[in-house]
Formats: sequence, structure tokens, C-alpha cells
Amino acid sequence: MTKRQNRMVLVALLVAGVSLAGYFGLRAFNENLLYFFSPTDVVAGKAPIGKSFRLGGMVVKDSVWRNNLKVNFQVTDYVNTFGVKYEGILPDLFKEGQGVIITGSLIDKTFIATQVLAKHDENYMPPEVADALKRANE
Amino acid sequence: MNIYTQTLKRDLRIAIRNRTSILNPLSFFVISVSLFPLAISPEASILSQIAAGIIWVISMLAVLLSLNVLFHHDFENGVLEQMVISHHSLPLLILAKVSAHWILTGIPIIILSPLLGLFLFLDSEGIQILILTLLLSTPSLSLIGAIGASLIVGIKNSGMLLSLLILPLYIPILIFASSAVSQAQFGLEISAQLYFLATILVVSLMTTPFISSLALKISLE
Amino acid sequence: MWKWIQAFASPQNFYQISEKIIPWFLSPFIILTLLGLYWGLMVAPIDYQQGESYRIMFIHVPAAWMSMLVYLIMAIASGIGLIWQIKLANVVAKVSAPIGAAFTFLALITGAVWGKPMWGAWWVWDARLTSELILLFLYLAYMALNNAFDNPKTAAKASSVLAIIGLVNLPIIHYSVQWWNTLHQGVSLGINKVAIQDSDMLFALLLMATAFKFLYATLILLRARDEILFREQNTRWVKAVIMGDEK
Repeated sequence: MTKRQNRMVLVALLVAGVSLAGYFGLRAFNENLLYFFSPTDVVAGKAPIGKSFRLGGMVVKDSVWRNNLKVNFQVTDYVNTFGVKYEGILPDLFKEGQGVIITGSLIDKTFIATQVLAKHDENYMPPEVADALKRANE
Repeated sequence: MNIYTQTLKRDLRIAIRNRTSILNPLSFFVISVSLFPLAISPEASILSQIAAGIIWVISMLAVLLSLNVLFHHDFENGVLEQMVISHHSLPLLILAKVSAHWILTGIPIIILSPLLGLFLFLDSEGIQILILTLLLSTPSLSLIGAIGASLIVGIKNSGMLLSLLILPLYIPILIFASSAVSQAQFGLEISAQLYFLATILVVSLMTTPFISSLALKISLE
Repeated sequence: MWKWIQAFASPQNFYQISEKIIPWFLSPFIILTLLGLYWGLMVAPIDYQQGESYRIMFIHVPAAWMSMLVYLIMAIASGIGLIWQIKLANVVAKVSAPIGAAFTFLALITGAVWGKPMWGAWWVWDARLTSELILLFLYLAYMALNNAFDNPKTAAKASSVLAIIGLVNLPIIHYSVQWWNTLHQGVSLGINKVAIQDSDMLFALLLMATAFKFLYATLILLRARDEILFREQNTRWVKAVIMGDEK
């Protein structure tokens, strides 16, 4: 092979490689890699039922029922809702309407939790501003 | 291309004449994996959940151990220096050596993995995906590892150093590969993980021979 | 300009000039930190979700930013050192690594202290936390490789290659909260996004972020001076400095 041909082969390989990597990369990001599953994912059969997994969603208003360390509440993504049973200490942020990520397994349509983590969003503001925003939305 | 096959054949021939260098990483692989049932629990339900992770971690370590000598002999007898100053393309020569390394460690690991999967009570679905992820990513392990091997070629007692350099770069492969297997055991979608592994493979095929050749030139200065 | 840079980049000039400019970085650091802590702890209001606990943000966020910025500087300096063989760039890269590792460690620790009361866990293996941990590993790998060579020139070049490869991790850290769903919250402060809706909170955060940059500048100058003395130990000017008859 001449030098020129060599270079052509190299360029062709490079173009092929870059486009292949780009294609695979795009496909990879289009598929979802989940740290936690939403209730809708669970209903759609995307979560590993029978094994411990993480469920993420919002705590439903007026669904929290406490008895000492025992807590029952519901988690929703505003489409599907699951009841959750947990025994243990809850994080400070846990309250109705808050985002949570729960580790546990699904038994008879109830989620038996071994760990409850609270997820907060990226917004920071004083309570007065939050109230004002809330009122404006209503 | 000719020089590629010549180098590949040469490396394979050397390895065949010196069989322990092939067998050691494999024995390490089998022995280390069989420690886990003894240490953790022989119970099938526990082992089948962590089987993919164990086999993947030990594969990485086995590849790492064998990488230590990837350039070592050639360095000691001066062949490596000849390669660097020869008129042949150094990345191509490195690619040939890495291919030989993969044939000698990657392929045997892939062949042994179903057996070890059975040891750890991995179901047939899990074993299939385990083989698939190993096929897709052991070449990446050899390619990325070659960078580390060429950076440390002149340093004595560099085994620990090589793991420090290379293991952080292996972490994404470990995450995607083992999550693919454990997801597959529950009949879940795993195409995202496989695409990530494929991306890593293509990118490392394209870049690592050049980075390794730069690193070799630096080490041999 | 170029001439000035070259003059400054000569080890001896750097050693002498840096001595004079260190106070100009150290004092802003002290002033901005005191002001930033006062603003963050006393002036800024409580957060609607997290109450008082969010205030650890004023350490955590600047430390996390610095962990990535220092890596970026280290990799760029490595590239400059590799291509143009400028000694000072190699020194900057080398002395940045432990500083960056310290910032990364600080970000991880403050994150854990913040995560326990808020999330309910010291640590989770989500994409953001894992990629930040890999950043710490990369710093450690860089330091290990740099120390493994006897010849500082080879050490600088070899570890530069590693530093540049590790750059791949920076976009992964930054975008991890967008690409994957994580427990870690999204970006609060970006180019076209400000989710910190209180000027006192924002001001305190920016004060601390600026203070940390001055801290980095101070530390890098202090450490670079030591490193230069060590590297140039056989030259006459270093002997003069050590013997104490420097002007």
C-alpha cells in the first residue's frame, strides 16, 4: 500500500469509528438507566419484582399514618400510586408532598420498605417566597 | 497490515512456549471466584444475586495482573525500543500486542465464565448476558489497560501502581456490565447498558493505541 | 505579553515574584471567607424545604466546583507541559493534584454530613456521587504515578497523559444529574438557570466560591515555590536562597 492509500484507510476507519461511537452513544442515552423506578415504571413491569429495588415519587397528601416507628403512606407519580409500609426513622425532610426514594420490595401490591430517603429539588428560597409562589400558582 | 499479523503471531508464539504466563491469570480467576461462596455464604439465593459482580470484578483483576507483563519482556530485552524507533506505525504494533493479550486472557475468561456462573448459581439467562458483556468489554479492558502498562513500563514493582491507575478507568465498564447481567436476571430491558459498553469499546479501539504509543515513547525516553 | 509570560515562567523569576503576590491572594481569601460565612450563616434566610441545614451548601458547593475546576486546570497545565515543555506548567499540574484531591474530599465529606439529615443517608451510589468519587480516585492515581518516577521530567509527562485521559470524567460529573435520575438534586446555578431565589443566599454562595478560588491560588503558589526549590536544587540561585544571602 502506498502512503496515500494508507492515509485514506486511516481516515475511513476514523470516520466509521466516530459515527459508530456516536450512534451507540445516542442509543445508550435514549434508553433510560434508572437509579429508581416510578410507580408507572413498576406498573409497566420495568422494575424487578421479587427483588429489592428503589421506588421514587411524591408522598400523597393526607396519606401518612404513624404509630411510633411504624409508618404507612402512599407514593405517587400522579398517574399510579403504591401504598408503602416502613418501620424506622424517617429523614428530616420527609413530609407530605415531598419527593422520596424508597428501597424495598413489592409484596401483594404493597411496598415493604427497608430504607426511605428524601429527595429535594434544586430550588433554594426563604419560606415566605415559597408561600408567595404557592399562592400565585393557586 | 502485515506487521500487525506478524506481531500478533510472534506474541502468541512466545506465550505458547511459556505456558505459565497464560495459565496464571486464569488460575487466579478461578481460585478467587471460588473464595466468595466460602467467605460470604454458599446459599444459592444470595450468590446468584452477586454472581455477575463477583465474576466481573475478578475478571478485571485477572486482566490487570496479566497486563503487568504486557510490555515487560520486550522492554527487558530491548525489543520494545526497536519497536518505538522502527518505521512501522507504533499504534498498530501496540494494537497487535493488545489483540494477543485479549486472545490469551480475554477469550479464556469468557470460556471459563459460564462454568463459574454455574458455581455461583447464575441462571441461564444471566449466564448468556454475562458472556455477552464479557465479549463486548474484555477487549476494552485490554485496550485501556495497555495505556497503564505503557506508562509504568520502566518502573520496578509496579503491580500496585498499575491497579491504582487503571481501576478508576474500569469503573464505568464494571457498573454497566454487572447491572446488565443483574437486570437480565429479572427479565428487564438492558439495551442501555449494552449500548454504553459498545460505545466504550469503539472509543477505546480508536483512541487507546495512540495514547499508549505516546505513553510508551515517554516512558522510554 | 509572550515575553512577559516566558520571563515569569522561568523558575527563578517565578520564585521571586510569587513571594510578593501571595499576600494578594491570601488576604482576599481570609476577608471573603469571613464575610461569606457571616452572610451565609447570619444574613441569608432559612430555606423553605431544608430549614437551617441547607447552609452547609456554602462549603459543599464551592468545594465541589473547585474539585472539578482544579482538575480542569491540572489537565490543561498537563497538556501545556506536554506540548510546549514549559516547566512551570508541569509544576502547576503536579502541585494542583493534592489540592484538588483535598477539595474533592471536602465536597464528599460535607455532602455526607448534609445527606444524612436531609436525605436520610450518608452515602448513596447514584451517578453524581459515584462519579465524584471516581474523581478522587483519579487524583490519587495521578499523585501515585507522579511519585513513581525518579526523573521529574518523565514523571510530569507520564502523569500528564493520565490527567488528560481523566478529563472524560468531568462532563460525566456535571451532567450526571441530567442524564440519569439521581438522588442528588439538579443544577441550582448554571449559565442560564438560577434556582436560588434569594439574593442573600446567592450572594453568600458567590462570596464563598470566590474565596475558595483565592484559597486555591494561595495554596498553589505556596506549594509551587517548594516544588521549584526542590527541582532546581542544584542551581546557584537556589543555593543563594537557601544560604540566606538573597539580596
